[in-house]
Amino acid sequence: MSAFSPFPLKAKMEVFFFSVFNGLLYGMLLFMLASGLTLIFSLMGVLNFAHASFFMLGAYFAYQISKYVGFWPALIFAPLIVGLIGALIERYGLRPVHKFGHVAELLFTFGLAFVMEEVIQMIWGKVPVPYNIPEALSFAAFTWRGLDYSAYRLFMLLISVGIFVALFLFIAKTRIGLMIQAALSHPQMVQSLGHDVPTIFMWTFGFGCALAGIAGVIGGNVLGTEPSMAITLGPIVFVVIVIGGLGSLWGALLAALFIGIVDNLAISFDLKLYPIFALFGVEREAEGIMSDLVNLTTGGIAPVLPYLMLVLMLIFRPRGLFGTRDV
Amino acid sequence: MKHLSRLVIACTVVMLAVVTMTAAKAAETIKIGLIEPLSGRIAAVGQDALHSFEYAAEQINKAGGVLGGRQIEIVGLDNAMNAEKTTEQLKKSVDLGLSFVLQGVGSNHALNIIKFVNKHNKRNPGKEIVFLNHSAVTTAFTNELCSFWHFRFDANVDQKVAALVTQMKRDPSIKKVYLLNQNYAYGKSFQAAANKLLEERAPNIEIVGDELIVPFGKVQDFTPYVAKIKASGADTILTGNWGPDMHRFVKGAMGSGMDTKFYTIYGGITSSIAGYGDDAKKVDLKQVTEMHENHAGMPDDVHGFMDGFLKKYTDSWYSDRYRWALHMLAAAMEKAGSADPIPVAKALEGMTFEGPIGTVEMRADDHQIQLPLIVSTLTGDAAKKVIYKGKNFQVAFKTDGVVERADTSLPTTCKMKRP
Repeated sequence: MSAFSPFPLKAKMEVFFFSVFNGLLYGMLLFMLASGLTLIFSLMGVLNFAHASFFMLGAYFAYQISKYVGFWPALIFAPLIVGLIGALIERYGLRPVHKFGHVAELLFTFGLAFVMEEVIQMIWGKVPVPYNIPEALSFAAFTWRGLDYSAYRLFMLLISVGIFVALFLFIAKTRIGLMIQAALSHPQMVQSLGHDVPTIFMWTFGFGCALAGIAGVIGGNVLGTEPSMAITLGPIVFVVIVIGGLGSLWGALLAALFIGIVDNLAISFDLKLYPIFALFGVEREAEGIMSDLVNLTTGGIAPVLPYLMLVLMLIFRPRGLFGTRDV
Repeated sequence: MKHLSRLVIACTVVMLAVVTMTAAKAAETIKIGLIEPLSGRIAAVGQDALHSFEYAAEQINKAGGVLGGRQIEIVGLDNAMNAEKTTEQLKKSVDLGLSFVLQGVGSNHALNIIKFVNKHNKRNPGKEIVFLNHSAVTTAFTNELCSFWHFRFDANVDQKVAALVTQMKRDPSIKKVYLLNQNYAYGKSFQAAANKLLEERAPNIEIVGDELIVPFGKVQDFTPYVAKIKASGADTILTGNWGPDMHRFVKGAMGSGMDTKFYTIYGGITSSIAGYGDDAKKVDLKQVTEMHENHAGMPDDVHGFMDGFLKKYTDSWYSDRYRWALHMLAAAMEKAGSADPIPVAKALEGMTFEGPIGTVEMRADDHQIQLPLIVSTLTGDAAKKVIYKGKNFQVAFKTDGVVERADTSLPTTCKMKRP
């Protein structure tokens, strides 16, 4: 900590660039989760508490499939299966609950998250599974000032950017995309025009789940595949869509990247928070509770930073960055 | 005639009853409680401990039991990793009339038990409970918090760090070390011990980073830490991390082309290995333990025990302290000539046992086991691979060096009050 001189300036620069790069990557991963969630929310009004569980399901399926036929088929089939499961859950679970209102739907997805965690533990056990990066991509893509950047991470970044672009084109340019957009704001009108809105709901839910599944496939081998991965990531995804504005894809993208980068920088540049407390007249040599407070660093509070942003956002701008309605 | 036959029957019944009662007295099983999470999120850890102790008890029973044929039975008591339930199960132990309770998962639970037995034993003379701690490593339990009723069969944090640092000192390529630990009681005690022992035993090794992270899986992505560690120029990481904080850390390092050595306490436990699989070969990962399967020169009884356990549960034997804890308890009963708590506790003080790599001793001053430890490296080419629930992980450990008992033995501040 402070006893050790921070790194020389040159080292700081490369740490900065790598933090931003890693932050981008983590942010894109969060975006893939959040985009599905926000799409489902804006279309159906359902806050899907089990969303991160589909992410987990994607990782476990990818592990199982890649054990037999390798990573590349897993990249395609795991999200498809997750999407299909999502669609079935919407059709036979969520839709019957729909008529009891949003609270019932919320409770349904809440219960679903626990059920899925238990089922995964029954099948794959409570300890993590060894889902690893494919051999073909486990080399350094480039080395810059002694720091390797792995090819797999570069691949993750490309995939997630690709999905982001495809998602936008899909929503803005295709007929189904236009229908989804219309159903977002005027579901009754779309239905009276002869479109099958319940089916649109079903496939949107499945599609959102498949997006989470892809995030699971490409993120599970870097972050670790274990039964608690959904519980630890779930809340962050909610933070992303609230900060970004419920229902806004652009908002989700910006919020996800922002959280990813800030988180990385806060850890890499472990700045002391003492000057802030000094403004409030806290003595540097304070004892007891205060001594812990003045010794706080940004790295120490990094995991709570997103929640801090969430609280501030709700106080000052409840609709989020790009939201059109208040939470 | 009728009267006579009745009398005969009555006599037979009385005699039979007397005979069975004496037999029951001689063969009365000795029940030992095991308070662990047997349900819930980390039930696997508790269940593994239960199997291990049951197997160790089975072996003692097969060899004739204790005190002239009495059998040992392990009673599993589920605390679901919940402090309230630990207290509940202690009360249940009292009701069951247990004199010995084993526990080890979670130092907060162990602390709960120490406080409970201290109070209970003072108020209920004749019904004392002795706490046999098999894995809770907080050093304070055998220092300022030491109790006559607590015995620790595992090395404490300071002893484990002492072994790691002593082994690091033997490797001249280690010049810069980075400390990364979890920000709570255990992580901080690891950090303090590492700072102190590095200064005392390896002053030539420079500490280039000393960091505490938010614990218990809150950190999803360890890449920023890895980048920072690389930038610091560290050639070795010394960490007490466990659970997701351990295997995610290693996973973060794997993709970065980092060739830093990891010196760990918990990098080799099955749940960690399960997380990185045989990819772990890409990282130079070391652990400190009381034994590992591929260590040469372990006595035959240890090998027999390991093989038998693997056959029965399809799990590799990992914690030999479970075996010696039960054997030392049995030996203490023989020495005391009874299964009563106070004489057995007194007999345990100073007791020695031939462990897998040398003699271990329950130090009388603080009830802390004194033992040699092994530092080993995770590798793909060891003979006996790690097997868990029938699954072969294709990796195992190879000994780097043994740290003798004299080098892991540390002074205590304990001032024991004896009954």
